[in-house]
Amino acid sequence: VQPLRIALAQIAPRLGLLDENLARHHALIGQARTGGAGLVVFPELGLTGYLLQDLAAEVAMRLDDPRLLELAGATAGEGPAALSAIVSFVEESADHRLFIAVALLEDGRVRHVQRKLFLPTYGLFDERRFFAAGDLLRATPSRLGVGVGLSVCEDFWHLGVPQMLALDGAQLLVNVSSSPGRDLAALNEVGLGTATSWRTLLRTYAQLTTSFVVFVNRVGVDESISFWGGSEVIGPNGDAAFSAPLYDEGLYFVDVDLADVRRERIALPLLRDERLELAVRELGRIVKERAGQADDSTAEPGSQPGLDVAAR
Amino acid sequence: MSAIEHPRPMPNGAGLFDLPTELAIDTDVARRVIAEFIRGQLRQAGFERAVVGLSGGIDSALVAYLVAEAIGAERLLCLMLPYRTSAASSQGDAETVIEHLGCAGDMIEISSMVDAYFGWADTGLVGAAGAEGLTASALRRGNVMARIRMTVLYDRSVTWGGLVVGTSNKTESLIGYTTLFGDSASALNPIGDLYKSQVRQVAAAVGVPETIIRKAPSADLWPGQTDETEAGFTYPELDRLLFWLVDRRRSPEELEAKGFAPERIEWALKAVAGSEFKRQVAPVAKLGPRTAGVDYLYPRRRPGSART
Repeated sequence: VQPLRIALAQIAPRLGLLDENLARHHALIGQARTGGAGLVVFPELGLTGYLLQDLAAEVAMRLDDPRLLELAGATAGEGPAALSAIVSFVEESADHRLFIAVALLEDGRVRHVQRKLFLPTYGLFDERRFFAAGDLLRATPSRLGVGVGLSVCEDFWHLGVPQMLALDGAQLLVNVSSSPGRDLAALNEVGLGTATSWRTLLRTYAQLTTSFVVFVNRVGVDESISFWGGSEVIGPNGDAAFSAPLYDEGLYFVDVDLADVRRERIALPLLRDERLELAVRELGRIVKERAGQADDSTAEPGSQPGLDVAAR
Repeated sequence: MSAIEHPRPMPNGAGLFDLPTELAIDTDVARRVIAEFIRGQLRQAGFERAVVGLSGGIDSALVAYLVAEAIGAERLLCLMLPYRTSAASSQGDAETVIEHLGCAGDMIEISSMVDAYFGWADTGLVGAAGAEGLTASALRRGNVMARIRMTVLYDRSVTWGGLVVGTSNKTESLIGYTTLFGDSASALNPIGDLYKSQVRQVAAAVGVPETIIRKAPSADLWPGQTDETEAGFTYPELDRLLFWLVDRRRSPEELEAKGFAPERIEWALKAVAGSEFKRQVAPVAKLGPRTAGVDYLYPRRRPGSART
């Protein structure tokens, strides 16, 4: 496990302009390499822009798309010239479902793909209307020497995601986002409610999973919404190693010592002490209760199986 | 922006206006977001310039300052569009904004256009609307004035080569205190999610002249008219009520428990519901397989949409 230089590509993708965004990615991978980075991370839908609506089908790529393979090819290199890149795009499956996907590219190929699991469809979000949700959550080994756990924006608003990735072997949790900024109330810690919430989550997850958390959020404007950037790297003790400015586009370099994970996990063996079988057992019970296949311990007496209020 | 003299910072509007605590925003973040928004919208539409109609009031003054901050005053055209009964002080305040910003400015009096329609009551000379037009209500006359200003703004946006930037704030939009296709018409609106109290807060932060921030908001349809006497509310009071109702999703019962008077709550609920149509695009009867706004959904600024 080596010291690692991470490049955070806090960019403003152009909406629906795949070729232009691909060119930008190629250029930034080059800059990251020149800057000595071993890993460069791009934001959610960095290759397409976020608010696509019906454009989603027009910018979708299959995993065998030559443009994606060419981008993966840009990660190949001898010795220090090799690097890993995490990129995000609209993925079309063979059966023509569209996913928001994030991929780890390294050694010139697509090493791992994670489809977005949680598609927010409430408030200002309408993702489920246009996209299918992924069904798999897997950590992946990497040339970086540690397991990597990929996730996309809203996935990190579900507690189980960072926990499962860490338990599956990830020591580096990466969340790529297109988070729309909102709530400018003056009482917010950093002047933006969204940023305050995210900063709390990232520190908490890093601490509870004793892992590095890398968060890359885009900047720029799609229609009414502005994306706030504020990309961060949080160490396994919950302290921020780096916080990018809000709203400023840039390629930010951060040096981390991946050996911090070992030190933290020895000192604070939270993952060692996790009770997976307990979680599986209780979750299994809750699933059965919801399906009406077992008595619901918290339902009103006399309620129908699967319902929690007794009809009168 | 060096031409603008910044007043001393007044984060709480101290001395200038009343700012309810829950409405106070981080004006640095607001200015940053708005500047990016204005630049992004113009770029995606293929424009570099903007047009703002200046009334002499705080909303349009603030928009002019924000546009100048985002793209530079040299790319901004401010148009003053008074009717002959418009307050002379409004004109003076609008001129002060243009002077402070150092942007292009022009004055087009709309009296002849309005009178050509409604006629001249003093002489009895009939306009295009016929004899009936001579006795048109202040509301009708105000609406026509707002739409004529819109017509001029959009016409001049062609010769200036810029987009029309809207100046409606969140308070007036929510209660429907706007003219459909008049003052509410624009290509983009940077302040439409700011309550009037927040408009004042941001205006103080960007250096809008104090006289403009201090004066009573008015549609200036007749001498001495003010928004607050018409609505029977002060803006800070109305803003708070709307904030808790809309942004914080409080029920009428919960609003009453927070100390708002029942008749004020009832008035606001009615005003908000009754103006829903003004905030939405007109519905299209769904007939074909794919209908704009229903199941043909594209971003306004999609690839190929920019003027080239």
